[in-house]
Amino acid sequence: MSDSIAIYVARYRPGQDEAPTEQRYDVPLSTDLSVLEALNYIKDELDPTLAYRWSCRMAICGSCGVMIDGEPRLGCKTFLREFADRGELHLRALDNFPVERDLIADVERFMDHLETVKPWTVHNSERPVSEGEYRQTPAELERYQQFSQCINCGLCYAACPQFGRDDSFLGPAALTLALRYNLDSRDDGSAGRMAALNADEGVWRCTFVGYCSEVCPKDVDPAQAVNRGKVASTINYGLNLLRLARGEHDT
Amino acid sequence: MKRSNEPVAWGLFGAGGMLLALVGPGLVVATGFLLPFAEPAAAFHAVDALIAHPLGKLLLLAAIALPLYHTVHRLHHGLQELHAPLPHGLVALLCYGSATVLTIASASWLLVR
Amino acid sequence: MTRKPYRAPQRWSWWLKNPAYRRYLLREATALPLFIYALVLVTGLYRYTQGQLAFTRWLEALQAPGWLVFHAVAVAACVLHAATWIELVPKLLVVPGISGRSIKRGHQVAALIGSALVLGAALVSWPLAGGAS
Ligand code: SF4
Ligand code: FES
Repeated sequence: MSDSIAIYVARYRPGQDEAPTEQRYDVPLSTDLSVLEALNYIKDELDPTLAYRWSCRMAICGSCGVMIDGEPRLGCKTFLREFADRGELHLRALDNFPVERDLIADVERFMDHLETVKPWTVHNSERPVSEGEYRQTPAELERYQQFSQCINCGLCYAACPQFGRDDSFLGPAALTLALRYNLDSRDDGSAGRMAALNADEGVWRCTFVGYCSEVCPKDVDPAQAVNRGKVASTINYGLNLLRLARGEHDT
Repeated sequence: MKRSNEPVAWGLFGAGGMLLALVGPGLVVATGFLLPFAEPAAAFHAVDALIAHPLGKLLLLAAIALPLYHTVHRLHHGLQELHAPLPHGLVALLCYGSATVLTIASASWLLVR
Repeated sequence: MTRKPYRAPQRWSWWLKNPAYRRYLLREATALPLFIYALVLVTGLYRYTQGQLAFTRWLEALQAPGWLVFHAVAVAACVLHAATWIELVPKLLVVPGISGRSIKRGHQVAALIGSALVLGAALVSWPLAGGAS
């Protein structure tokens, strides 16, 4: 094992570069160094102009996602030792998003889509605090718990070719959060979210590529959530047909 | 946002996919390798007997129509994914249209027998 | 400072660069031989409606090496389809109290039995030419 590793970073400086180009940095190799720490080393020791995002260093904040050798991964959860044998690795900003600068992707679209599905508990009527908390049994929690582990890192969007072709698709994490709240016994907002799921830009753009679930760092399994959303949307479609047949209005 | 009619296509796609997964390999071996080398008269009468029964008609129609809908659904989406320079609506019409025409034709052939 | 985000529209060749995408497209590509196979079945039914002679002609046509090769490809495609399909079933069919693993196993067993039943029925009802009977 050599004592340094070549990190190629796709750099993009708006106004200066037409397109991203790779720049090589040699970083001393140590087995417990993460890709994020390597970037910190580059910024501190080699090139203060390098731009990238991070905060928690422990796979919680979801801000350090980058393409590592072509795969969307968290910089803080990926270690250099994995690439020691090859002696090099390549970094670029998350795929399927515009590149703001260097390794920083513009994830605005993703944030818009999250907002569309109202990822919070919606209540038909606010209960006074004096009536106590909204209670939930362990079984009720179990129904959505896995889907609530999402850290909004956007790796699944970088993994999704449907979002890549047309970013009007609500995408894996937003659709997963929609299901997460629809499955929550305390929530009354299901009808509103279903309207988003039922649309073409909702669950129906998904063709079950499944790569989103492979790259998710929190084992959320967004592909499962989106496809359970298709089942829910199909039932919803059938119920709507029944309503139409009874002469009630379209929803 | 507008409600999509995709549940109809997806339902048929799913039924066809399940049918092909559960009996497909056996079916292809049967009609691709056994049937052509069967004794022709016996094979013809076996098909006759199958179609004589309403349940046989139904099974045969399912074995033809559901795989049609399943496969055209994937081809339709696949063409879009490969950026085929064809209008989306036209591809959808050709795919689901051909599956529907062939299903109706098969159903009518089965009924007149 | 003005913003000037760099956008790279997806190219048609997006699926070439990642093995996960290639596997996905191979799965979707099983639909092509299986679509042709469905057309073969429709043709067979049509030839059957034209009477015994036409049906026999159709059987003879299927003995051509080209069609045998095609059916070999179709069997391979169908097995790949079945394997990948059943892999995904537990993600759609979520039953409280039954693990995804058991649901997958159940479908795998059902598929083996299903195909065996069809083959058995075919062997019984279509005696091979030149066979004992
Ligand atoms: S579903 Fe997983 S990959 Fe997608 S944003 Fe959430 S944590 Fe990240
Ligand atoms: S720095 Fe927070 S998830 Fe990596």
